[in-house]
Amino acid sequence: MTLDLKIIAGRFLLVFLWALVWEWTARTGALPPAFIGQPSIFLTKFFEHLVDGSFISASLITLEAVAVAFTVGALLALLTALVMTVLPILEKLFSPIIDALNALPRVALIPLFILWFGLGLIQKVASGVSIMYFILLSYTMAGAKSVDPDHLLLARSLGLSRSEIFLKIIIPSAVPAIFAGLRLGLIYTVLGVITAELIAGGKGIGTLVSYYSNTFDPNGVFATLIMLIIITSSLTAIMSRIEASVSKWRTPLNQE
Amino acid sequence: MPIDNLQSTTTDPPSGIHINSLSHEFGRNESRVLALDNITLDIAEGEFVSLVGASGCGKTTLLDIMSGLLAPQSGTVLLGDTEPLAGRQDTARMFARDALLPWLTAAQNIGFSLATRNVIKEHREEMIMQLLREVQLEEFADAYPAQLSQGMRQRVALARTFSLKSKFVLLDEPFGALDAMTKINLQDQLVALWEGTSSTTVVLVTHDLGEAVALSDRIFVLSSRPGKIIANIPISLPRPRNVKELQSLPKYHELVASLWEKLSQ
Repeated sequence: MTLDLKIIAGRFLLVFLWALVWEWTARTGALPPAFIGQPSIFLTKFFEHLVDGSFISASLITLEAVAVAFTVGALLALLTALVMTVLPILEKLFSPIIDALNALPRVALIPLFILWFGLGLIQKVASGVSIMYFILLSYTMAGAKSVDPDHLLLARSLGLSRSEIFLKIIIPSAVPAIFAGLRLGLIYTVLGVITAELIAGGKGIGTLVSYYSNTFDPNGVFATLIMLIIITSSLTAIMSRIEASVSKWRTPLNQE
Repeated sequence: MPIDNLQSTTTDPPSGIHINSLSHEFGRNESRVLALDNITLDIAEGEFVSLVGASGCGKTTLLDIMSGLLAPQSGTVLLGDTEPLAGRQDTARMFARDALLPWLTAAQNIGFSLATRNVIKEHREEMIMQLLREVQLEEFADAYPAQLSQGMRQRVALARTFSLKSKFVLLDEPFGALDAMTKINLQDQLVALWEGTSSTTVVLVTHDLGEAVALSDRIFVLSSRPGKIIANIPISLPRPRNVKELQSLPKYHELVASLWEKLSQ
């Protein structure tokens, strides 16, 4: 317990020292503050924008796109995985195509999405979905295949039907992989949405970053990045919490 | 009396397990391997029988056929008066690894199997606790498999197998992965569970000769590739048995030694 506290204190100290060196470098002009910014200035800026609500409203716009993309992408991926698990012939048919699409850097599709959907919410969602979908699909398929053969034998020896085996053995076996896919997919959905905002503009966090950068305001960029780190860290923490609560059974007693 | 209702009430002959000229091959064309060669054996109702032999002698294949997981290619197999079928209400199978579902607690794992048999829901809870008591795991009813030792997990699997109150219990090297002390404890629990039933026929596949002698009424020795029955040895040790006490009985060691001889011929 005391060790944990010491480590947490150590982490804060590290960040503080880093900021101190940064501040000193900028103040003495060892590196030009016009490029590297200055912690005292961008921290003030961060709190100002937090208080005046501009960061909050920008975050909400980004988070709206993230939430829609995450939900749509996840539902599509789970549905695809379900169909491909029930009809393995479809998986054989589609897997090379899916692999090829997955190998394509999706960011390169954003101009096309802008062309199709304009500059608003939908193109950002499309960008997020294009990433989320493939991540969760590959995790879920891997999960469905990771079923312990002993469990299938047990199910057969107990006389379970095909649909019972699917519901009671295959789906629960895939749950850990599905949640790992959801957690990773969420972070990458943010990536997709932010990238779309960097390219297409609008009112989200990504747009703020490109705006500050284009106006030679590194302190504005860093203030926005702090906001972004807070958003992604919170999202990951929430997902990890949910993941832990559905997979209690994976924890041996002595590690609780 | 819900527990009694579980057992099929017919006592008409034939009972027990009867296998007649059973042969089984794996692979096709040139790579065919004869796994079982003309196996004929009869096991009486309520008998505890072991199948021993070196690995690759086809003993698990034989058990898979009795469980209905594998269809016999030639010859006949009868459990009671019907052919084996996966999911038969009167057959229970236990696997070499515990095969517990990791997302269910010990009690839920037993309940999972029990739910496939027609036991009135209200009685399940009671039966589960009773079985967990018998394998001395009642305080671990709500523990997940990851929280149990290998020996405890295998005890849950044992309780799960016997929860089905099946007439035919088929065990595939259930204690193979355990250390010597844990093994003897579990063997005693198996004996107790079996002796607690009236007419359960048990077939145990094992490569542990001591285990076969300690538990069985009769031992079938299989040769390697192809699997053929080369000896049928009755074990005349008195019952009820205690595996721990058997360890200091000269007769027990004589039987193990003579079994060794049969196998190494």
